[in-house]
Amino acid sequence: MENSGGFHYEGEKAWCAGCGDFGILAALEKALLKSGKRPDEVLVVSGIGQAAKMPHYIKTNGFNGLHGRALPPAFGAKAANHKLTVIVASGDGDMYGEGGNHFIHNIRRNIEITAIAHNNQIYGLTKGQASPTSERGMKTKLQPEGVILTPFNPIAVAIALDAPFVARSFSQEVELTAELILEAMSVPGFAFIDVLQPCVSFNKLNTYEWYQKRSYKLGPDHDPADKAKALEKAFEWGERIPLGVIYKNPRPGYVANTIGLDSEPLINKTTALEDVKRLTEKFY
Amino acid sequence: MTETVITLGGKAGQGLITVSDLLLRYLSRSGHFVFAAQDYMSRVRGGHNFMQIRIASDPVFAPLPTSHILVAFDQRTVDEHKDELIIPALVLHDIDDVKASGNATFIGIPIKMFAREAGHPVYGNSVALGAIAAVIGLRLDGLITLLTESFGKKGGDAAQKNVQAATRGYNYVRDAFPFIGVTLPRPGEKPKMLINGSQSIGLGLIAGGLQFISAYPMSPSTGVFNYVTSHAAELGILSEQAEDEIASVNIALGASAAGARAATSTSGGGLDLMAEGISLAGVAEIPIVIANIQRPGPATGLPTRTAQEDLDLALNIGHGEFPRFVFAPGTAEEAYYTAAHAMNLADKYQVPVFVLGDQLLVDSYVTLDKLNLGKVKYKNHLADANKVKTPYKRYQLTPSGVSPRLPYGVPDTRVMFDSHLHEEDGHITENIEICRKMVEKRFRKLAGMIKEPLGPTLYGDKKPQITLVCWGSTYGAAREAVDALNAAGIGAALAHFNRVSPFPAKEAATFLKGKKAVHVVEGNYQGQFARLLARETGFKTGEPILRYDGRPFTARYILDGLKRIYGNGKFRRVSL
Ligand SMILES: Cc1ncc(C[n+]2csc(CCOP(=O)(O)OP(=O)(O)O)c2C)c(N)n1
Ligand code: SF4
Ligand SMILES: [Mg+2]
Repeated sequence: MENSGGFHYEGEKAWCAGCGDFGILAALEKALLKSGKRPDEVLVVSGIGQAAKMPHYIKTNGFNGLHGRALPPAFGAKAANHKLTVIVASGDGDMYGEGGNHFIHNIRRNIEITAIAHNNQIYGLTKGQASPTSERGMKTKLQPEGVILTPFNPIAVAIALDAPFVARSFSQEVELTAELILEAMSVPGFAFIDVLQPCVSFNKLNTYEWYQKRSYKLGPDHDPADKAKALEKAFEWGERIPLGVIYKNPRPGYVANTIGLDSEPLINKTTALEDVKRLTEKFY
Repeated sequence: MTETVITLGGKAGQGLITVSDLLLRYLSRSGHFVFAAQDYMSRVRGGHNFMQIRIASDPVFAPLPTSHILVAFDQRTVDEHKDELIIPALVLHDIDDVKASGNATFIGIPIKMFAREAGHPVYGNSVALGAIAAVIGLRLDGLITLLTESFGKKGGDAAQKNVQAATRGYNYVRDAFPFIGVTLPRPGEKPKMLINGSQSIGLGLIAGGLQFISAYPMSPSTGVFNYVTSHAAELGILSEQAEDEIASVNIALGASAAGARAATSTSGGGLDLMAEGISLAGVAEIPIVIANIQRPGPATGLPTRTAQEDLDLALNIGHGEFPRFVFAPGTAEEAYYTAAHAMNLADKYQVPVFVLGDQLLVDSYVTLDKLNLGKVKYKNHLADANKVKTPYKRYQLTPSGVSPRLPYGVPDTRVMFDSHLHEEDGHITENIEICRKMVEKRFRKLAGMIKEPLGPTLYGDKKPQITLVCWGSTYGAAREAVDALNAAGIGAALAHFNRVSPFPAKEAATFLKGKKAVHVVEGNYQGQFARLLARETGFKTGEPILRYDGRPFTARYILDGLKRIYGNGKFRRVSL
């Protein structure tokens, strides 16, 4: 992995050798370097899981919160100081399972953050149970007869909720992932990237080869502004899996739409005693 | 003490709130002490709701089981409240809707007819208000001024129509019942402030520097959220209705980590959902204030009623061990200071701080001369970026246990909040030594926390025969019971606990030393505070006086409890 200077963390990483998470980390570093942001201008937020160790492995500000709860504090931090560039990096279990409600509602909020789901279609940290995106039929210790639930389609859900930027990548495609993250960072709203990420230890079905064989990059013929086409692409899974920007619908986000968050960050606004006094007068 | 008690009752949506709001405003402006408790059902229309207004010569903070005047918007109000009337009592009612019965004097007013004259049934509220005003000797011109001010904002002829209706009601009572009238206790010289607990907690949060509130609606906590939100835009506070309580606490924590002063409000069920987030605040050392407004549980319980059942929950919520503050103010005024203080303390110690209220506290209106805004001053405890050691360590080990806290975004500084056991710089670790040190560091904060104010308040006789102990809003009823006992020559005292964590064990032990006949009064079944007191001081209190039917304590309820414990004998002379 290249040394990316300001953002690179030298210390040990608790990921298995060959884990797709390394590729996503490399892409994130690359994108941040390209963005010209200083590390202190960036906040990386996660929940809990293998993917969620991300804030520990990159030299930005960090918030490593609770399983499933990456998006709420990311929203809170962005709203409190909208000068920050906020990036969420968490697992598929974290973002679509335990935190599924926050996934829905932060897209609705259209908060100006970048959310990266490390989608390994499995629970890695807890040693290989089904995740919301696990394939039907996948056998695990907890699904000994195979998964019978319908897989969650994050891309389709995000498009249905009109997220302004919906993309998919594959962790091995570091360049593409970095490009998508960089573009996502400039989106004035909720920018979402689902990254296919092989878990070499527990997901023996969706391997590097499995993703390599199926994934392909969307060409210029795909128009991300076309919602119907985008939805069609969202359901393309199995034999062929599209990578790249699938849907785009840029529009003002939460910060832009919230009166009072226009210029000065919230953290710099204080209520004077005079204002409190004025409020007490209303009680007479 | 002298007083006049008015109970207004009717169906939800019948205009009860409008009438009582205006009446309360008039009385507080005239300098009267009032206390008004709301009793309402969990429904938007129908049912039976009532508001009891005590107009007293001295401040009072609890409802009564009795009243002098009943304003009945329907027959059910008469049926439900006729037995609590102190004869000679008056019942004001619409001439068509209510049948006279019993010993009270019934004053039938053609409310609907006068409203129709004014142009719409909605003006019936003002007819009733005018009639009440006449009965309790308020001035018509003052009432007209108030109505003009209140309805003038609506534009059109609303003000004029309401004035017309009120005047009709007023004059009708004057003319048809010339000999009827009640004399109110003498008011004070100056107008008083009229505030409820939701407003005072909200105002306290604001005075304590609140910048961000995220919450999810839940009775009876929504009033706090509403109040803050109603002033958010003008003050530059951000208010967010979260998707659920798990989100509301985690959103607030993210905002707090970024450097904003953050709070959330909820009630028991919502607090349950926040448990893991509160634990996160504990280990990641993120300031947050949680206003938990209690209602009876378990589960949905009685959504619009009152209880003190969440003490154990607030003391213990969140897995693992971490220090916290838990406060339980006794009155709306105290709730203001407590909430403001809570904001400062969360920031100072980087711990979760709970403000426990309940339906009685937040929905009841009280009057006070003024709030002492200088009493709790906003203080910022964020570290000075130029003075912290470099490289910056979010969880630097310090003698006080409090590490310098920087917001995100300080040049050349990396701020890392972490939910694991972590190194001083926030990096995840399992190192045996640092694990132990971090736990100890967090608990070192307690030495400072225990010295903070809002310890117990003591009231009444210095050498009492009977001692009551309470926490939270039970203060009002307990104080009244103590007053009544003392007036009857039975020495009585009260200890009220606002801060319940860290528990002021020393003060409690000193106060309790040598006292016999000590009874905890609290709104739950298990005697949660009594058990806490025993745990913290080793002091075993006598039989507690408990209430767990969703209704607020009254002084009489407490007296009945004492009679049950000791027999009627010496309590015969106590008038309540
Ligand atoms: C409230 C809660 N429930 C369960 C867990 C245990 N847990 C930790 S990570 C995880 C799932 C991880 O899966 P995913 O989010 O896909 O991340 P991955 O490890 O695959 O990167 C679970 C169930 C937890 N930490 N907290
Ligand atoms: S368990 Fe799977 S997801 Fe976790 S580090 Fe190993 S390979 Fe990666
Ligand atoms: Mg996973």
